[in-house]
Amino acid sequence: MSFVNDLRIIHKDQAPKLAIALLGVIAIISIYIVGYDQGQLFSLVQGNQAYDAMWIHEFTHDIRHAAGFPCH
Amino acid sequence: MNSYSFIFISLLAGAIAGLILASVNYFVAEPYIDQAIGIEIENTIAAGETVDFNELNTYRVWQKEGTFVAGAFLGVTYGAVLGIVYVIARKYLPSSDDRKKALILAGLICLALYVVPFLKYPANPPAVGDPETIGLRESLYTSFQLISGLIVLGLSVLLIKFKSVNNFKYLIPVFYVGLIGFIYSIFPANPDAITAPMDLVNSFRIATFTTMVMFYIVLGIIFGMMWRKYRPHETTRLTAS
Repeated sequence: MSFVNDLRIIHKDQAPKLAIALLGVIAIISIYIVGYDQGQLFSLVQGNQAYDAMWIHEFTHDIRHAAGFPCH
Repeated sequence: MNSYSFIFISLLAGAIAGLILASVNYFVAEPYIDQAIGIEIENTIAAGETVDFNELNTYRVWQKEGTFVAGAFLGVTYGAVLGIVYVIARKYLPSSDDRKKALILAGLICLALYVVPFLKYPANPPAVGDPETIGLRESLYTSFQLISGLIVLGLSVLLIKFKSVNNFKYLIPVFYVGLIGFIYSIFPANPDAITAPMDLVNSFRIATFTTMVMFYIVLGIIFGMMWRKYRPHETTRLTAS
């Protein structure tokens, strides 16, 4: 017969600052992509043409409207 | 605290909830978006401009396919927000069950970052919205979201700090309604006139409001279940056999 006894659970209540910072950066980048980009990101490689094509804007277009973000 | 589990839970719960949102929206919201884009096209033609239907169809395919990836990104955003707040606020949230705690917090985030901003700046389908005002509208919406979130955060801190004061908790809803009413009254209205049929606009708003509230509930449920399973707050479980 095998059994396992939990002796002790060590809790550390300190918030994991690095993990929080990483999640914060991820949240900002992903919300920018979904809710705000109007060609700026692709303009870094595509130049001004990106503002006409607005690939990311169009790619996130439907969810942007549905999630309540302002759109064109 | 196991940071890897914490990050994993936050992002995966968000991505799954976002994909579910996109899948539901594909059937619930997309018909209204198609209808609104049809109106945009009619308006463009009526204005004497040329419409390139091939390009338009390419865009629509791109937009509809993109909905799923964009949904995952949206989910990742709010999953990360939920994770950050949860890891800090977990010990203060009512209930001893992580599933209930996560659901309560997801509800509060939904209220602060979606429902209240929606009351001031409700979602609009395509065919509503002047491209010239996009910057202003984004600034207004984001500011309103942030202030609404900060109000909930501030009142939560007050509630924790003064929990020993008799009946203080009953004042919190009064403060909340007062502060939200105040920012609601000082923020300017959406500058764009609604030119699409109100039936369509209202149907779109009801549909998307429902799916977004569902998204936060699903996010809270998945996050809570995963937290309960992986227990990232427990650094080490010493065992003997």
